[in-house]
Amino acid sequence: MINFISLVGATVLNRLAQIGQALVMLLQSMLVMPTASSLYRLVQQLYVVGVQSLIIMLVSALFIGMVLGLQGYTLLSAYGSEQAVGQMVALTLVRELSPVVAALLFAGRAGSALTAEIGLMKATEQLASLEMFGIDPLHRIVAPRFWAGIISLPLLVAIFSLVGVYGGHLVAVDWLGVYSGSYWGNMQQAVDFNEDVLNGMIKALVFAFLISWIALYQGYSCMPTSQGISAATTRTVVYSSLAILGFDFILTALMFGGAS
Amino acid sequence: MATDGIIKIQNLSFFRGDRAIFKNLNCTIKAGKVTVIMGPSGTGKTTLLRLIGGQLKPSQGKVLVFDEDIAQLNRKQINQLRARMGVLFQSGALFTDLSVFDNVAFPLREHMQLSDDELYNRVLLKLEAVGLRGARDLMPSHLSGGMARRVALARAVALEPEIILYDEPFAGQDPIAMAVLQRLIKDLNTQMKLTSVLVSHDIAEALAIADEVILLGEAQVLAQDTPAALRASNEPAVRQFIHGEADGVIPFHFPAPPLEDELRGPRILL
Repeated sequence: MINFISLVGATVLNRLAQIGQALVMLLQSMLVMPTASSLYRLVQQLYVVGVQSLIIMLVSALFIGMVLGLQGYTLLSAYGSEQAVGQMVALTLVRELSPVVAALLFAGRAGSALTAEIGLMKATEQLASLEMFGIDPLHRIVAPRFWAGIISLPLLVAIFSLVGVYGGHLVAVDWLGVYSGSYWGNMQQAVDFNEDVLNGMIKALVFAFLISWIALYQGYSCMPTSQGISAATTRTVVYSSLAILGFDFILTALMFGGAS
Repeated sequence: MATDGIIKIQNLSFFRGDRAIFKNLNCTIKAGKVTVIMGPSGTGKTTLLRLIGGQLKPSQGKVLVFDEDIAQLNRKQINQLRARMGVLFQSGALFTDLSVFDNVAFPLREHMQLSDDELYNRVLLKLEAVGLRGARDLMPSHLSGGMARRVALARAVALEPEIILYDEPFAGQDPIAMAVLQRLIKDLNTQMKLTSVLVSHDIAEALAIADEVILLGEAQVLAQDTPAALRASNEPAVRQFIHGEADGVIPFHFPAPPLEDELRGPRILL
């Protein structure tokens, strides 16, 4: 029993220490004065983290929009209100599905890659060798990747919503024959910029922060062995996914919840 | 600056968890010499290098490099000190996204304001010194292990440091690559008037180029002497290590209860 209590205590302390380390890492890498060369590195990372995630986002968004169009049409036509399919597709995407699905894909596509890259740099002593050249790896390696994640994901989420809405249009209007004017008109009336679009982007920003932080910390603190890197990569995907879904509920409750 | 000891380690203790890697260790590394730190695996040779480079801080005691206590320096001072110190990491640690040329140019671009021509010439001369001028456009993934280590060596000496630290330079190299590295280490030491510190357990190769050997064991310095004196030593632990005997004062078996107590079932084979 005593053993069990001390085990719980040790685990909790260990976790708290990890969170502390992760916070220190975050602050040290975030608080950097930008220079010309650091901007260049940021652009490089924006390409790797953002642009290279575009294909998976575009394809997923198209299919999700199409599925929403189809499901929405089937459900709504039973009540004769299939004209509302546009607003349903847009609201579902902008408020929930775009931020959450794009973030989950981003964690799998970009987050895991960041962890593996930094873990491997650690295992091959590239980080230590930067340090011996008098360069802080937090500034050189971690910071540009962190900011690239924060900037990319909200943009990807916006693109995701846009493509998804067109996917819904493809199915509901072009295939199933909903009147195009009511698809767009209902959508325009129902979607509010502050209430829906902006809240969705806030979600995207929060998820971007969480994913980048988790991915970079896991890479930076992993055991520098092959098992260590593989475990850290797995942890990045698992922790990010859980954090995304958990925070999505909290944010939704704050933004849209409450009986008032 | 005292020329007798460029690196001085005084009463150094270092702990990993509860395990003492070093306990009250004292030694001095002389300027201008090739000093080899040897000892069985797990005696903290690489840890000692990291302590000298300031990447780890001692639990107790001091590490003096150029007569400065490296644990007491601030970030800027450490970086200034590190610019006078080159490190060759065990894996070479080349930046995999940069070509051979850019790898060698990296420290120059970071620390010196050179014109493009000066930079180009300087990198080329460093690559020439390790015999790899022709490989300047290759990426690290296209280099053999020995070549990668030579490029890393060119990068480590690019800033013309006063001290160079080698972490296991011979590990996993074929005999030719080993001979090349031995020659390079010795030549660079004389030509550039360097102080070289090697961590190694390739006894023959290391002893051949060493001016002095520090033998570590049991968290202490077991012996510090010239290779010839160590070869002639009658100290049992020194003999065992230098002549590569499997069993001796340093036991072959990891501590365990007697084998008889641990075997199970009927003892047919015993």
